[in-house]
Formats: sequence, structure tokens, C-alpha cells
Amino acid sequence: MTAPLVVLERLSYQYPRSETLALRDISLEIQRGEFVGLIGPTGAGKTTLCLALNGIVPQFYGGRFFGRALVAGLDTVEQPVHALAARVGMVFEDPETQLTATSVENEIAFALENLRTPRAIIRQRIARVLAVVGLTGLERRHPHELSGGQKQRLAIAAALAVEPAVLVLDEATSQLDPAGAAEVFSVLRALNREQGMTVVMASHAAEELAEFADRLFLLAEGVLVEEGTPDTIYSQVALLEAHQLRPPQVAKTFSLLPEPPVRLPVRLEEGLAALPKQLVGLEPPAVISQRPHAAPMISVEGLHHRFADGTPALTGIDLAFYPGEYALIVGQNGTGKTSLVKHLLRLLEPTQGRVLVLGRDTREWTVGTLARHIGYVAQNPDQQIFNATVMQEIAFALRQLHFPPEEVASRTAEALTVLGLEAVADQHPFSLPKGDRARVIIAAMLVLQPQVIILDEPTTGQDYAGARAILDLSRVLHEQGKTIIVITHQLYLMPGYAERVIVMGKGQVLLDAPLRQAYHALGVLRDTQLSPPQAVLLGQHLCPAVQLLTPEEVAHCLATSQASGGDPC
Amino acid sequence: MNIQIPSGEERHVQRRGGATIDGAPVAYVAALTAVMIAFTIIPLPLSIVIGFGRSFPLSQGLYGLVGWLLGPLAGALANGIGVLIGIFVNPQNTTIPGASVAGAAMGALAAGVLGATGLRRRWTLPLALFFLLEYLLYGGRAIVQNGADVRAVLAGSFINWSALLLFILPTRALCARWLRHADLRYVTVALFLGTWISSGLAHLTSATWVYFIYNWPAENWWLMAPAAPVEHVARCVIGAIVGTGVIAGLRATGILKPLHAAY
Repeated sequence: MTAPLVVLERLSYQYPRSETLALRDISLEIQRGEFVGLIGPTGAGKTTLCLALNGIVPQFYGGRFFGRALVAGLDTVEQPVHALAARVGMVFEDPETQLTATSVENEIAFALENLRTPRAIIRQRIARVLAVVGLTGLERRHPHELSGGQKQRLAIAAALAVEPAVLVLDEATSQLDPAGAAEVFSVLRALNREQGMTVVMASHAAEELAEFADRLFLLAEGVLVEEGTPDTIYSQVALLEAHQLRPPQVAKTFSLLPEPPVRLPVRLEEGLAALPKQLVGLEPPAVISQRPHAAPMISVEGLHHRFADGTPALTGIDLAFYPGEYALIVGQNGTGKTSLVKHLLRLLEPTQGRVLVLGRDTREWTVGTLARHIGYVAQNPDQQIFNATVMQEIAFALRQLHFPPEEVASRTAEALTVLGLEAVADQHPFSLPKGDRARVIIAAMLVLQPQVIILDEPTTGQDYAGARAILDLSRVLHEQGKTIIVITHQLYLMPGYAERVIVMGKGQVLLDAPLRQAYHALGVLRDTQLSPPQAVLLGQHLCPAVQLLTPEEVAHCLATSQASGGDPC
Repeated sequence: MNIQIPSGEERHVQRRGGATIDGAPVAYVAALTAVMIAFTIIPLPLSIVIGFGRSFPLSQGLYGLVGWLLGPLAGALANGIGVLIGIFVNPQNTTIPGASVAGAAMGALAAGVLGATGLRRRWTLPLALFFLLEYLLYGGRAIVQNGADVRAVLAGSFINWSALLLFILPTRALCARWLRHADLRYVTVALFLGTWISSGLAHLTSATWVYFIYNWPAENWWLMAPAAPVEHVARCVIGAIVGTGVIAGLRATGILKPLHAAY
């Protein structure tokens, strides 16, 4: 047996100015050719562990380092980072932050040039790695002209160009849409299975890791809690949930049965195989009566929008949003979702058609006045933060709109309480975790007491607990009578929150239906490369007419049918 | 909180070269160089054409800040390269490129030494002597060779000699202490005062170079007397406003602090 590629021996690490250990007594080995997943909630130490593999921890950050980390025989404390960089390829969460060159081929050549690789070899490597990641033909393209998935594949290609022994990916798919994430996983699978590349991937993507990983390491508070195959780790649903992790929906579904199988299925095909034949005679759920509609709060009539370069963004949108609705807008990147909501705020103006807010054309509103009625939390909340304290950030809009000081104080205090931010009111927003920063922006928007709240990809980059916390807040606001519009790719999160789904594709509305119906419109979802939750696919297999949505519903149906000897649930 | 003592042996951690320049990560130096390029291209609309340069680029208010963020040597490098590229793109913002680049570098060096700890505080004396020599050459040439009125020269070079005086006096230590103060109000005051010192010394370096080449008329010293301090206050306001926000953000995010940073 060959020596392990990665050996960590009682590795502990403490960041400078931190009182706690980010990693504590981690001992593990990774063999050549393995695909290893690192899972754990935010703050578990996954990123620190990734950075320890190429010496950035501790050589860049400083701090205190205990134990030993060997990668391809090199001690990561003793070897300089540039020597380790030739053996450990790193790909980070946000592809935008990794690309610096002005063309695809220059991006790949950059590291090789720094390693003084001969020109002819650089040319060969560029051609080879572009073929591996499926970007051949785009050599002269500017990286910023690529899609999110293509950018991340380019980052992988740049990492592969130095022919590393191990490829380390830290949440490399969390900011991508489903199609982009699928592209990246497809490339990783090919690299691992066909070329024997060792892959270490920190990720929250449970379904994908169950599919692709050979082994998983579960970290929590810097400690290695459990290691094993995806089958052993993901079938321990209670353990995962105790660490605020989401198991694959297949495993969750079967764990909810009164008598769960000894070994839970963790992959979709295993779950489908474990289901009984399609149940017949089931009745579709009673149609839930729609909320009695008042006059629309927002009407979109024949909306077309064309960007300055002539690219059509929206082509003939007709929609209405009613008071107290919770609507979900889904679709691939570039299908016009954000362009649509920007029209509601008059951040974009129609090329043709019109948008009415409270019966008035948005062209008659100022952006500032519209902002009092419609609150907008952009995809990256960090781009909306610019004050030095949480309190100042929340009070900013009120002060700009010349609210009386006592009202500014009372509204700010109320928003701090509602969002649970009182304890951090005097802290800098960027000192807070990402989930809390999103709450700061939501609070800053709520103080204006808007009737409509738009959340654009609020769960992107959040772990499961963080995503649920934001959505729970949206539900509270909805229950208070606010109209909520959420844009997201993470369909599995939305049952229990949204009531209506608008599916967009190529600048058009492809489907506008109640959530249950929309999630089972598999043809439309596949056309837009959206992945229905596993529970929906299990439900389709089990009893399509019933349109089951969640692991709980599927398990209930399954349990009932088993109890009645296969009769309808 | 995990307070358990690690079982592994503690290793000696080195912040290795290659990724850093004088303890400042290369990425930080590159980022601040880019900031200086942008701010050198942008002229202040209220520019007063005095001293060196045909206009007043915003970067002149940030020479010191870069020194405090990166340390004296990496700061000088970032300022020098940033201003060099900036004036290449927008030559309107300089009279003599070398003078502008040297001034920017010396501004960061002075700021970095002002905020230095440990052995680097010993750099203060030679640097102060260097600036004193510059001032003697600058003022001496005006008075002795060109026959300018002593009072006019003193009034016209107020921002330079006052900066030098503040650099030599205990105000340097006070400024350094306040830059590290937890209360951002002290930081703001320190940034204002520190920018007065660092940009004043940067101006001295550039102005001496320019004066030896252009030798402006003796009457100009009186014209400079009221205008130069106004211009200099503008630099200090830029440094204080931008610097407070940047330092507050850097402290809050806990991002890696360069070895010789002074915040």
C-alpha cells in the first residue's frame, strides 16, 4: 500500500488574536485518488483545514500551530507556500475573487509563469486543462464574460495547470446556480475517476457529496467528530442534525419511517429502489383555496427590457403580486429574475410595457419613495454595508430621509430587537458572521416599514442553519402581513415558506403556479436546469398524483401505505 | 469555547518571505497600489496649483494611511508604484514625475516610522535629519540664493516645517498611540494629525525637488502662505475620513494585519 498523500497528526491551530482553537487535535489520512468531503456547520474549521493543506495556515496568517501536516511528504510548516502551491491546487468559494487575468489562457498561464515553466509546456498545459474542464475554444475570452460555472471551472483549470497532487475546493459550488454546480461536480468526478486526482472538498451540498465522495470528515467546533463513507455518515441523521447539518433528503425521508431500514439509503437511486411500486388510487391533495385577492400591490404589464448593448433581458412579462403573498421566483442565472425585481424598484426602467406599484406607474415614483414601500436585500449583503456599526447601518436610511431623531431611535431599537441584533448593535457589521450580516441588511430595510420585501438569493453561501434562520424570519414578516418575494435556486428550502412559484426562463415567465404544483412540473424545471428536491422525485415515484413535497410527507405516505399493506395512504 | 490544550507539539511559525514584502502580504501591497493609482488619477476639483504638481490628486491625502496600513517599506513601495502609474495615466497631476513619486514614497515612510514599534523607532532620527536637510536646502536656496524674504519663506513653507516639528516632537508618539486607540474618535484625530505630518513631509520632498528645477519667483512665497495650509487641510480631511472607515473595517473583519502596520 502506498503512503498516504495527506497526513495530519494531532493538528491544532489558533488564529492570531483569537482565544479559541480553530482546529483541535485533528488526525487523519487521505490516500491518493480519494475524493474526500469535509462537512460541518459554519465555524467548524473546514476552511482552516483546507488552508492548512497548502501552508497558508499558518504561514500567511501567523498564529499558533500544533502537530504536523504532511502533504505529498512535505511538512506544511517547514516548506514555503510556493513549494506547496505546486502540489496543492486551491479553489475557493467565489470564482470572481480568484480570477485576475484578462483572458482565459493568461489566467491558466499565470501560476506556471511564476513557477518559471517553459513557454512550450505552458502552451501544452493550457490546451490540456481547458479540455479537462470543458472550456476549449474560450482561450481568448475575458474571464468576466464567462458564466458562474465556467468561471469556477476556469479556477479549477488554473489550479490543475500546475499538476497538483491534490485539489482542494472550499465551498466551490455554494455560489453557483444548479447548472453551474452540476458542471463543477461533473468535472471533479471526471478528474477523480478517470485521472485519479485526489480531491478534498468542503461543501454543504449533501446530495452531491453522497453521490461523489469516497469518504467524509465531519468537523464541529474545530474537532473531527466522525469520519466514514457517505453511507455511514449520511445515514446518521440524528448526528448530522445535532450539528445543524442537512442530510440528503433521501436519508431524511427513510429515517422518518416508524421502522427505518437498518442502513438508510443516501443516494436518490437507492431511495427510489427502496420504494414500493407506485401506489395507486391515491387522491390528489385538496386544492388549497387561494388567498382572496385584493387589488394587486404590484402589476407588471407587457414588460420588456433590453440592456444598453441590445441584449434582451425581459420579453413580455405579465404578473401581479398581491398583498400578503409569499412568492418565489426561480430560474437559472441570466433568466431575468433580478432584472424583473429591479423594475419593481425602478432601478431599471422598462424598454416597453409598464410596472404599477399601488396603482401608479413606477416612472411616476422616485427611487427613494419606492424604497419606502419595497425593501430590497441584494444577493450579496456585503455590498450594501458601509457604516461602521450595526446601529448606524440600520439607522442610515431613516437619517437620510430626515426622520425625527426619536423616531430613528425607536425604529432602530425595534429592528435590532426583531432581528436579535441588540447584543451586536455597536459592533462593525463586518465583524459578524455572514448570516448575521444578512440580518443587518434586512433590519436596515425593515426600519422603513416597507409593505413588500424582496430577498434576492438570501440563502446563497449560507449553511443550512443560517439559511433556515433567514427564511424563518421571512415567514415571521409574512405572518405580519408583508408581501414577500424571494429569489433562490435552493428549491429544497422553500416548502413551508413560499406559496406561489414563478419559474422564469430566457426572460419570460414559464410557469406561475402554487408551489406544490410548480415543484411537480418536472418538465418545466428540467427545461430551466433546476433540480427538484429529492423528496419531490421520491414522491413522483411513489404516488405522482399526490404531489408530495417534503421528506416528512413522503415518509408519512410510505408509512401509511406500509401499515395498510400497500393501500393508498 | 474549546479550551482544551492541544496534544500536538507546538511548532515555530514563520511568516515566510515570498508572499510578503517587509511583513505585508503582497496582495495587500498590490491592492493599495491599485487604490493609489486610482486616487492619483482623480484630481480634487478645488485644486490650488501650488508647490508641486499642476493639480492636487486625492492620493496626496492617503500617503500616510498607506504607510500605517502596510508599514514604512511596503507602504513606500505601494505609494511609489501607485503614484508612478497614476501620473503616467494622468500626467496633468504632476510637474516632475520623479518628485511626485519620491514624495509619495517618503510620505509613507515617514508615516510608517511615526507608527513604528520596537527597534524601528530608531529610524526616526536619521529620517528627521534627512527631512531637516531637505528643509535647509529648500528654504536656504530661497533665502540665501534667491533673496526671498525670510518671513515669506517661513509662511509659505508652514506646512513643511510644522510637519517636521510635529514629527520630531512627542506628538509623533501621541499620534502613534491614538492610531491604535480603541475609540475611533481618537483614531480620526490621529489620522488628521498624522496626515498633516506625513503629507507635509511628502510635500517637502517633492517641493524641494521642484524648487531646485523651477525656482519660482520670490513673490510666490507670500501667495503660498494662505493657500498651502488650506490645501493641506483638505489632504488631512481626506486622510481622516477615508482612514477611519478603512481602519474600522480592518479591525472589525480581523483580517490579517501586516507585521509593521500601525493601527
